Amino acid sequence: MRRRIEELTVAQGVETVVVAAALIVAALGAHAVGDSFAHNLLTSVFWYGIAASSLIFLSAYGGMVSLAQVAFYGISAFVIGNAVTTGSVKGLHLGYDPWVGIVLAIVITTALGLLLGAVASRSAGIYFLMITLAFGVLANTFFGSVTLLSGFSGISGLEATTPSVLGNSVAHPDRLYYVGLVASLLVYFLIRYLIRTPFGIALQGIRDDPVRMASLGYNVPLHRTLAMGFGAFVASIAGLIYGWQFGHVDPGSINLEQVIFLLIIAVTGSLFKIEGAWLGALVFVVLQDYARNIPLVHYVGISDQRFDTLIGVIFLVIVLLNPGGLLGIWDWIKGFLPGSGSPSPVEPPVAQTGSAGGAGA
Amino acid sequence: MVPTALPRPAVRRLSAYDVLRRLPLVLTLLGLLVAGIYILFVTTPLPLSGNGSWRTTTFGSAIDDPVDFAKTFLDAITFAGLLFVVASGFTLIFGLMRAVNMAHGSLFLLGGYIAFDLQQYFTNAGGFGLEQVDAWEWFVPAIVAAVAVAGVGLLMQQLFLRWTQGQELRQALITIAVSIILADQMIQHWPLQDSLAWPSFIGPNNFAHIGGVEYAWSRLFILGVAIVIGIALYLWLQRTRTGMVIRAGVDDRNMVSALGVNIQRTFAIAFVVGSALAGFGGAMGGAFSSLAPGVDGQWLLNSLVVVIIGGMGSLGGAAAGAFLYAFVFTFSAAYLPTSGLDCCTEYSPIFTFVLLIAVLALRPLGLFGRPA
Amino acid sequence: MSHRVRLGLLIAVVMAVLAAATVAMASSSGNSAASPIKIGILSDCQGAFGAQYDADLGGAIAAFVQYAGAKAKDATDPSKGMTGGAVAGHPLQIVGFGCSNDNAQRAINETKRLVEQLGADILIGPLSGDEAVAVAHYAQQHPKKTFINGTAGSQDPTLQIAPKNFFRYNGDGAQWNAGIGDLLYHKLHWRKAAIIMDDYSFGWTSAAGIIADFCAVGGQIVKRVFPPLNTTDYSSYVRQLPAPNKVDGYFWVVGGTGTVASLKAMQQAYPGSVSKTKISGNLFLEVTGNFQQVAPLISGAYTGGFGTPGTDYKAPAALAYVAQQEKIWKSLPQLGAMNTANAYNGFYFNYYKAAWALVKGLTAVKGSITPSQVPLQQALGKVVLNTPFGTVKLDKNRQAIEGEWSYQVFAQPGKTQVSTVQYIPNVDQSFGGTFKHTSPPPGRTQPPCTKRSLPWVGKEKPVVNGVIK
Repeated sequence: MRRRIEELTVAQGVETVVVAAALIVAALGAHAVGDSFAHNLLTSVFWYGIAASSLIFLSAYGGMVSLAQVAFYGISAFVIGNAVTTGSVKGLHLGYDPWVGIVLAIVITTALGLLLGAVASRSAGIYFLMITLAFGVLANTFFGSVTLLSGFSGISGLEATTPSVLGNSVAHPDRLYYVGLVASLLVYFLIRYLIRTPFGIALQGIRDDPVRMASLGYNVPLHRTLAMGFGAFVASIAGLIYGWQFGHVDPGSINLEQVIFLLIIAVTGSLFKIEGAWLGALVFVVLQDYARNIPLVHYVGISDQRFDTLIGVIFLVIVLLNPGGLLGIWDWIKGFLPGSGSPSPVEPPVAQTGSAGGAGA
Repeated sequence: MVPTALPRPAVRRLSAYDVLRRLPLVLTLLGLLVAGIYILFVTTPLPLSGNGSWRTTTFGSAIDDPVDFAKTFLDAITFAGLLFVVASGFTLIFGLMRAVNMAHGSLFLLGGYIAFDLQQYFTNAGGFGLEQVDAWEWFVPAIVAAVAVAGVGLLMQQLFLRWTQGQELRQALITIAVSIILADQMIQHWPLQDSLAWPSFIGPNNFAHIGGVEYAWSRLFILGVAIVIGIALYLWLQRTRTGMVIRAGVDDRNMVSALGVNIQRTFAIAFVVGSALAGFGGAMGGAFSSLAPGVDGQWLLNSLVVVIIGGMGSLGGAAAGAFLYAFVFTFSAAYLPTSGLDCCTEYSPIFTFVLLIAVLALRPLGLFGRPA
Repeated sequence: MSHRVRLGLLIAVVMAVLAAATVAMASSSGNSAASPIKIGILSDCQGAFGAQYDADLGGAIAAFVQYAGAKAKDATDPSKGMTGGAVAGHPLQIVGFGCSNDNAQRAINETKRLVEQLGADILIGPLSGDEAVAVAHYAQQHPKKTFINGTAGSQDPTLQIAPKNFFRYNGDGAQWNAGIGDLLYHKLHWRKAAIIMDDYSFGWTSAAGIIADFCAVGGQIVKRVFPPLNTTDYSSYVRQLPAPNKVDGYFWVVGGTGTVASLKAMQQAYPGSVSKTKISGNLFLEVTGNFQQVAPLISGAYTGGFGTPGTDYKAPAALAYVAQQEKIWKSLPQLGAMNTANAYNGFYFNYYKAAWALVKGLTAVKGSITPSQVPLQQALGKVVLNTPFGTVKLDKNRQAIEGEWSYQVFAQPGKTQVSTVQYIPNVDQSFGGTFKHTSPPPGRTQPPCTKRSLPWVGKEKPVVNGVIK
């Protein structure tokens, strides 16, 4: 053990410390950062992170940038809202047991993920991105016009659709916080595990060279479809936590703006590393909450109502600096720290979507 | 490389898998057939009082009410004209550069706003008359808007996209960031709903009479402009040197470069033309409907749907996509059953997406799309 | 070895920073001796109503200035906040402004930020209908806080959800249109009409007021058309409306990006149908005054109101109110110099009423909101506002009963001109029993068209040249 520590580079040391500190702070939760920060912002970071991790999984290991993940987490929240709530306001309010609702939400969302995967699996690159975008907008339109299931006002009362172990999530935000934390960790390790299985390795092969994989006998569309199903499954978990936290879901929760926000989160963290999901979510959530307090904002021709401009500028700078996001920038900085070799290449380790054509040629 | 099917064996039996694969085609054709028969022969007009049934639509069948059928058809192709103008710019940029310009809707809206401000200036803050808008008071703003937006597009291309060439995803992300910034800044300057005025000669009170159908000139004007632009683009791409380079570049960028053509200059030209079309489309769209925060997103989506259906990078595809999209949108709004008060025409946007999914299930690259 | 030292050092530094941050956060949440009343104000700074952000904040702050001795920090920018201001010795403190975008999720996000993070005791807001539905649900879950609606007009928050800590001192979207049906029935002799409405809750609610009013006096709605929000081409929707020779007129309830687009499409579909005697509608139509080629066509059309009269209304109390507002604000960002139009703006006035009612409620309980806000909530339920535009009191669901106004819109170069046609006193949410807790909320088919007696029919007072007759 001692020798291993000595071999650590400064960069690895920093990483170890940051991860350890983050985990300690996360485990302490409200005790470390205060109630409101933990229960509002960090819980959001957890579900945004889970949703973004599904996007990153598909992008990094499947070569598919899916803009449908927002629709998937929304569908999951709509399903549990319809299935579990009671009362007379909106939706079907079937009044099922919360556990039934959870299972239904996950199963239906995953099934839709498989379905979309089947339709989109023969497309790749930027085409795939646009098909999934169209699906996302379709979901938004669907819940807006089908008043039986939601309508524009959406469904409220989701805070009471938690299993009784958790209790009403407004009354017990701390429990929801830990649900989010544990779910985040589980999702992270599940993805890490999945990419080492034969399925995951085949998926990465398909990402790099679908034609060669097809000629080796792998069913390319099937692998992509299954990956989409898994992505929808992960997103459905985010949708449950999202619904419990806000107690409300409506078509506005999954509109084009949200689609772009989730993409921003994934890209800010890193489109090529799962960890980036939660890092991007943290940066985004904190920015959205605090950006308007930055005094500088007033002086650059941006009034405090215009903090979307600030978010856009920050996003633009990150993408221009490094397509690998903050983790990509960190990789680049690591190159200059003592103990490592030459600076690692700026280019991400994964081929850009669509330009996979080079590999296939 | 986009996944393609394995080479097909010369002799094949119809296996269950083949049947399954043909299912989308069969279903689509069947759906079209049923919809066609329904619209042409089956439906009856909704009585002014009382509820209808699955057979009742607003106008009844095309046989009963050919005038409304013709108007619906004209609505579809004129709307398709506007869609084509905007989407052709989008598809031109994509075809050559493989760059999805997610700021295309923002450029559209910006063009509309610039034309609006200029027209307000020319007409003295909108004298609110019906007859005072001269032709130049629409054309000059529209052309200035096209030029100005072309400048913005060129700036974006030179600053951000030139050196990220070939990184499709990164370019899409960059243009998303630009669109967020543009949208937010446009709200600052144009917070309310604005609308341009058509020149009086096609203005709101002038109607054409085509075989007994009274139809608005302004919509026919849009179609005319779209046809002119379509022909001009076709000739430009087919007959000029720049056009040939662009077509060659669509097929093989590296080879064109290797032949000593300044591909960067060609990219810039494509971007200028594509952005100008968005800006000009904005001036037309601003007079056709209105300009407001959120319209940028609508038109990005419109352009996306059109080119996904038609196939990205293909001019003919943009025309076909625009027509199909407008056709399905217009006809589903006009010919879905209206039984009772609560059904069903408001579901017409969903049919647009059904069209999209049907096309993609049949041809993953769109109707006229080709692998990169 | 050196790596190891450096690593240890790093760990120490990171831990120290973390500890410092924790301590700093803990200390910043300490309480001072005086007990201020913390207020959050939630509005939209983006989306369709983003331009009204400063009207909302300006209205609320103006009431604190006028009735609680506060002072605006910057007479040209409400978002800078205010200083001073106290009720019974308890200082009023605005903890923050919420910036939503006409999206319920964002509204909840901002509400959580104001209430849970910044510790607001009382929230004023939100602006729009679906936001209010979500905020009312939130209020239900947080009975220890008090919520006063900003200017949202959906019916559900006070009729269906109706939490005990949610108060609304403005009419809902249906109330704003009270009297318009009666006006058209009697003045323009409309008997059969069709209605086109945005396919979402505010469109339905607003249309519900028109339908209930028009049908109550005997009118018939022969067709309802629902274009989806954000439609680009309205042609095939407006053509579903019956031809002009089959109906007496059309009620137009299309807003957002669609008002002008749909009217242009209508003019194209049925030439001559867009006229002042054929078109009526809700407050959405007032913005058409800014548009060439549509505005002149409907110049003179009657529309429902927004809880305030048109700028031609010149009662002494109203003039005094405008003078007062002009003393508080020089101008509002995006809306220009403070004037009659800005003071009469429903967004400004509704937030003004909300903050004013809060001051009255707090005064009644001597500024005491601890240990419980129940006394404040009881006091708020009894607040009566004698506004320059009539008396406002609350019903048992804590929903305003107030006077409403109908307008005529006129196209004037470069501006919207609205003239006041009638004043309808004591409009309540129920429309003579049309809307109740047990009735289905406004929707595509709700309410049905039925004749019934409305409390205000026959009691409308015509307004001529800005004076109530």
